[in-house]
Amino acid sequence: MQYMLMIYEDEKIFGPGKAGPMLQELVAKHMDFSRELGAKRVGGAGLKGTSSATTVRTKAGAKTIHDGPFAETREQLGGFYLIDVPDLDAAIALAKKIPLAGDGSIEIRPLLAGA
Amino acid sequence: MTGPSLDRTVREFGTRIVAALAARFRDLDLAEEAFAEACARAAERWPRDGNPREPAAWLYRVAMRASIDALRRRRTRLLHAPEEPEPEPTAEELMSEAPSIPDERLRLIFVCCHPAVAVESRAALTLRIVCRLSVQEIARAFLISEPTLLQRLTRAKHKIAEAGVPFEVPSPDAWNERLDAVYSTIEVAYAKAHEDAAGSGPHAQYAAEMLALSALLAELVPHEPDALSLAAMLHYAEARRPARVDRSGIMVPLSEQDPLLWHRPLIDKGHAYQLRAIAQAGRGRPTPRVIQAQIHRTWCARRSLDEPAPWRDVLALYDMLLEHRDDAIVRLNRIVALAEVAGAQAALGQVEQLDAATLANFLPYHAVRADLLRRLDRPEEACAAYDAALALGPETAERNWLLRRRDRMAKDIRPIC
Repeated sequence: MQYMLMIYEDEKIFGPGKAGPMLQELVAKHMDFSRELGAKRVGGAGLKGTSSATTVRTKAGAKTIHDGPFAETREQLGGFYLIDVPDLDAAIALAKKIPLAGDGSIEIRPLLAGA
Repeated sequence: MTGPSLDRTVREFGTRIVAALAARFRDLDLAEEAFAEACARAAERWPRDGNPREPAAWLYRVAMRASIDALRRRRTRLLHAPEEPEPEPTAEELMSEAPSIPDERLRLIFVCCHPAVAVESRAALTLRIVCRLSVQEIARAFLISEPTLLQRLTRAKHKIAEAGVPFEVPSPDAWNERLDAVYSTIEVAYAKAHEDAAGSGPHAQYAAEMLALSALLAELVPHEPDALSLAAMLHYAEARRPARVDRSGIMVPLSEQDPLLWHRPLIDKGHAYQLRAIAQAGRGRPTPRVIQAQIHRTWCARRSLDEPAPWRDVLALYDMLLEHRDDAIVRLNRIVALAEVAGAQAALGQVEQLDAATLANFLPYHAVRADLLRRLDRPEEACAAYDAALALGPETAERNWLLRRRDRMAKDIRPIC
């Protein structure tokens, strides 16, 4: 089954523009993790900060463009992995190993097509 | 050639058959529906042809076939092809060599109690699928409407299927976490039955099912001290049910319960489980559950009200438990024991060290505090604490007990209270 692992962290801890030494350190950890995933990794990427986000909203058929993410929350989507594993337990085991800079959460969602 | 009845077979082997089907086809709905179909066919055929010699194997075989047919129908429906007619199994086929039913009940318990399933649904799903309780029975036990329960069950089964919850016994690295989810499911479900101190009505049967489930788990993972201690705890708690409420419907605190009213055979079973738990725990640090069960064991070792209550041992065990689990419930229980050993003044001192603000809505906090203030002859404060406890809506037997204590005291100090 294919799952998307969505990484939610408070991007403020990386400093303005989501750059700096803390991010560099975390990126290196993600590289290690990706290597460990091997063939189970279908895809994935880190995302720039929400200050770079643009939202296209559709309401009653009309599309409007907004600055910023869809919802203001304490933790923001900061990156994702797309993995192919046998079941949820395998996905949970990998989600637990995803490197984080501090507190955060990983949302695990099966892909519609992967069912 | 008449074997056991359908009712008895379903009661004894229903879970096993459903578990085997679910594990094989990885689909709870399919397993339940196929089993129901097999039962319906048995109800039709057995009275006519006589009960089969191996009724469980008969049901398993027919349910297996029904599952395969249902899967085939699903597939053809997906392909928009006409449905194939369902072949009726011949009598010979059904009588032929009995297939052995693999024991997949542990897998099924792990599926129903998976941490990815909503906490409030896990117990209900386990009772439905593993204990084979009816929707009506579970709804009554949980005090929710049948449509609400059905919705929860449907959502839980949907989540299991959609999220890819494995129908496997978890791997060693996830073993403890997953077993813990099973334990807490059983604890939550039993607490529901235990809340009703009188144990009248549907709860008595329900509690019996919970005991059976804890015993089943202990049988399936016989080397886990926590599983054995959990079974011990449920048996001890259930054994004391006859003494928990007096004739006028008022709660009786543990130390005032007449041990002669306790159900001895259940206590003996509890002792057997707890002794095995201690043996399994070996020399390692006992887990909180083993210690908790040991507290129950200490109480249940009391033979009559003439024997002194084992407060010192209980206090020592709570001290040990506190090292593992420092929360308000453990602290308050420890304080109750401390009051008996070191006096109410010392105990109250410890109550006042707790964070009153975070415990404002915690009934035991007010109840314990009220009792200590009463014993220290501070009636006005005690009255206020009893009122705070009563305002939190305790169930009937406990409310009656709190009311009696408050009112007896109020008589002495009227008109203050």
